[in-house]
Amino acid sequence: MTRHIFLACAALACFATPAFGHAFLQHAEPGAGARLAVAPKRIALAFSERLEPVFSGVTVTDTSGHGVEAGAAQVRGNTMIVPLRPLAPGNYRVTWRAVSVDTHRTEGAYSFTVRP
Amino acid sequence: MNVRECGSWEVENIMKPVIPNAALGAVVLSSVIGISSSAAAHGVVGERFFPATITSDDPFAADELALPTITSFDHETDVDFDYSKTILPGFAIGLGIGHVNAKVPGEPRESGFGNLELSSALEVYRSSEHEFILTTGLDWEVGGTGSRTVAERTSTFTPTVKFGKGFGDLPDSLRYLRPMAITGTVGYLIPGASEEPKSIEWAGAIEYSLLYLQNNVRDQGFGNFVSHLTPVVEMRFSSPTSTGNGGTTGTINPGLIWSGQYLQLAAEAVVPVNHASGHGLGFIAQLHFYIDDIFPHSLGRPIFGGGK
Repeated sequence: MTRHIFLACAALACFATPAFGHAFLQHAEPGAGARLAVAPKRIALAFSERLEPVFSGVTVTDTSGHGVEAGAAQVRGNTMIVPLRPLAPGNYRVTWRAVSVDTHRTEGAYSFTVRP
Repeated sequence: MNVRECGSWEVENIMKPVIPNAALGAVVLSSVIGISSSAAAHGVVGERFFPATITSDDPFAADELALPTITSFDHETDVDFDYSKTILPGFAIGLGIGHVNAKVPGEPRESGFGNLELSSALEVYRSSEHEFILTTGLDWEVGGTGSRTVAERTSTFTPTVKFGKGFGDLPDSLRYLRPMAITGTVGYLIPGASEEPKSIEWAGAIEYSLLYLQNNVRDQGFGNFVSHLTPVVEMRFSSPTSTGNGGTTGTINPGLIWSGQYLQLAAEAVVPVNHASGHGLGFIAQLHFYIDDIFPHSLGRPIFGGGK
């Protein structure tokens, strides 16, 4: 029976290779909780899966809740990049939503700080 | 935009495949068709991903396969198979069966298949904002379907309530507790034979997501492997409701879960809470497949209402 279980698992693992799934955040720049001496010019997010551009996006807000993006987010493959206006020292909130090309949806948020 | 301007990012990381224009229309169309069901994916509530727990049932109606779950504890080794299939978004049925191999010192070896276990799970409430989910279900161990040597002849029915709660809504002063989450189940086991004892079956898990810590609280610089680890302590108890049937028994299981894109691996120690619960340490390990991610357009979709 153990051999049959192993073969079944191996078959599933093979089928798994070409599939798509949830787009989980793999890397962010600046990252969560970062304290920056120099204000970033953009937010760049990399995900584990390719994204559906129409339904994926990111917003960046200051402590008053005002958006500080300088333009719309660009979605390319598994990344999202949004340009920022010049940021004054303070705390900022990044809120993203990602829909992978097979329509699985994930979302997240984090903060970073621009030091005086 | 020049992708080379993105700080320390590697260019090849940024330049992962771009969807060809010709395919984009089809993708958008299929996304529109299927978008309504996208939130009902395994383990995700709001910003929280709950990995599948292995000792206690997690509160999700999802397309999942646990194959195998291997448990070695108290002179017994079990190999289990569990499959869950969504019928509608938020409603799933499950099927499980296991092979038992027991050798108690001084007694003959007993082995064979246990009874077939059927279950249902209905998600009744979700709050993305508070990372909370509530699910009801019914578990049915079908008596007489397993080997006579190891399986009971009578059925049991267990109506169950399950929940999951992430602590991402804690205030900033407690931000390092935000990666924490709990899950729990409480069920009332009703045996098919009136002479058998009823009991409260209760279980739960306390987990700390390194992925949540990395992505939502503070970037710790974890690598891809470490950031997908979730330290967890699971527990499972059984409390007879009538006197004369013994006290509460159960185990506490500390361990680790690694959650990948399509599967997860979990390993836990099994620690009995008292003498009546078993002897010595044991272990449990599981290989678990996210069927909704592996087969997102076919087997991983609800049969009804899941789109294409």
